[in-house]
Amino acid sequence: MDVKFLIAGDRAVSVEFGKVICLETNEKVRMLEEKLQESPIDGVVEVVPTYCSLIVHYRPEVILYDELIQALKERLENMHSVQKKKKIVKEIPILYGGETGPDLEYCAQLEQTSTEEIIRKHSEHEYYVYMLGFAPGHPYMARFKEPYSFKRRESPRVKIPARSVVVQLNLSDLIPFEQPCGWNIIGSTPLDICNFDKEDPFLLSAGDWVRHVPVTKEEYDRIRRDVENGTYQVKTYAAEE
Amino acid sequence: MGIVIENGGVLTTVQDEGRFGYQAYGVSTSGAMDSHAFHIANLLVGNEMTEGALEMTFIGPVLRFTQDNIIAITGGDLAPMLDGLPFPMYQAVLVKKGQKLSFGGMRNGCRGYIAFAGGLDVPLVMGSKSTLLRNKLGGIDGRKLQAGDEINFTSPKTKLANMEKRKVPVKIYPDKEIVLRVVLGPQDDEFTDAGIRSFFWNSGVITNEFDRMGCRIEREPIEHKGDGNINTDGISLGSIQVPANGKPIIMLADRQSTGGYAKIGTVISVDLPKIAQSQPGFKVRFIQVGLDLAQSLYIRELNKLKELDKKLNG
Repeated sequence: MDVKFLIAGDRAVSVEFGKVICLETNEKVRMLEEKLQESPIDGVVEVVPTYCSLIVHYRPEVILYDELIQALKERLENMHSVQKKKKIVKEIPILYGGETGPDLEYCAQLEQTSTEEIIRKHSEHEYYVYMLGFAPGHPYMARFKEPYSFKRRESPRVKIPARSVVVQLNLSDLIPFEQPCGWNIIGSTPLDICNFDKEDPFLLSAGDWVRHVPVTKEEYDRIRRDVENGTYQVKTYAAEE
Repeated sequence: MGIVIENGGVLTTVQDEGRFGYQAYGVSTSGAMDSHAFHIANLLVGNEMTEGALEMTFIGPVLRFTQDNIIAITGGDLAPMLDGLPFPMYQAVLVKKGQKLSFGGMRNGCRGYIAFAGGLDVPLVMGSKSTLLRNKLGGIDGRKLQAGDEINFTSPKTKLANMEKRKVPVKIYPDKEIVLRVVLGPQDDEFTDAGIRSFFWNSGVITNEFDRMGCRIEREPIEHKGDGNINTDGISLGSIQVPANGKPIIMLADRQSTGGYAKIGTVISVDLPKIAQSQPGFKVRFIQVGLDLAQSLYIRELNKLKELDKKLNG
């Protein structure tokens, strides 16, 4: 395996598994993360999985760089013993178009297709959560089927609301908090993507799969009420690969 | 009972060591910007060195004590005063109920720390008292202190052993120029040789875009091999991102956990306080050091803190 150790200062090292963003490389990142849970290294503070690498934050007063690399290499050699986790799919209800999905028609125009076709492409295939970043709970998701382009906006918006569903190329993100954004907003989810008042604040984790489920305005409002009352259960199931 | 805030100052927040274990979910660590001054303040008042304290910036707050407690003020000299009289820094002092702590203005450095014996009664949010303003998380309702806030002491002290020894030399920070030692990586191979040479040869100036998240530096652009973008990856404290415009940004306490700009190097841990105590307009130079040196300097600093802890707190 072609693995690189990139020095990220005196308290972190980035373990890079490749340069091309793909499921295969990301699965190695996740495998090392799981191996480190199964067989922790003393002195490691936390690890953060991203597209192609796992950054390891550590305490040099407990383990020096050379010792850490040795310990990481041992785990890399044995990481295929990690039991492959079942594929977890979470269903995310989405109200497409309308006031909270203002770019759905524009997006269809750019693709020279119908809004129904955009919704079909977005909801028919599962999206994979490569990583979380940028803001708390913010998933970076991609689909692998029909991977053609949803184009970007020409001029980014300064602020888009929380719970927006934005798309670009084969990528789709859920926006946890108000932020600037250059992607097109095709819908909104009634679910909280990050809510610090909850014991587990985050809707998604790296490695999850997501299925977007179209809902009507009435369903959206009802789910939102349930979410606010704390009674909504996200539909989650294990699927075959 | 504890303190009542009569004036919050420019930017006063509760900070501790930082919030760890949630970067994988995109949550910034936060934590004290000048961790060294923060650690010393806590040790002087007999706390664990990671206990939550107040971090103040430029102009300190006005605090009225509603209960006696021993405190220590460290870091930048913001001209502390107790009931209008000069108050010593880097020393544990008993403050009485009814007394007023205020600050005259910045004289040296830029960020000060007030540690309170026994700690502040601030809830742990995801394991930390640190305030993350951007996400309204931790500290006092996730925001900076403002007039009318009250913070209770957890277990205030009117006496501590070795009171006469609870004093260390005052630290003086540079007032025009800082030199930051840097370990190359993680993406130094994204830069041309000329880019790397220029990074170390030419100095830059700290811009106004300098906050708890990061410090932007104006200078001759650093040349990339490509466009400066990488596959988004993890960011460590002190990482020096260089976006397409070639101007570096040093990533600090409230940095995002991941990012997509190439990172030429990382400021070594023991030099991070120098940035925390700098201001816009300061000249910045980078010099290269090896990882071994960076780690041994860091460990030496931790050992010195341990020795101080042992001397004062047994």
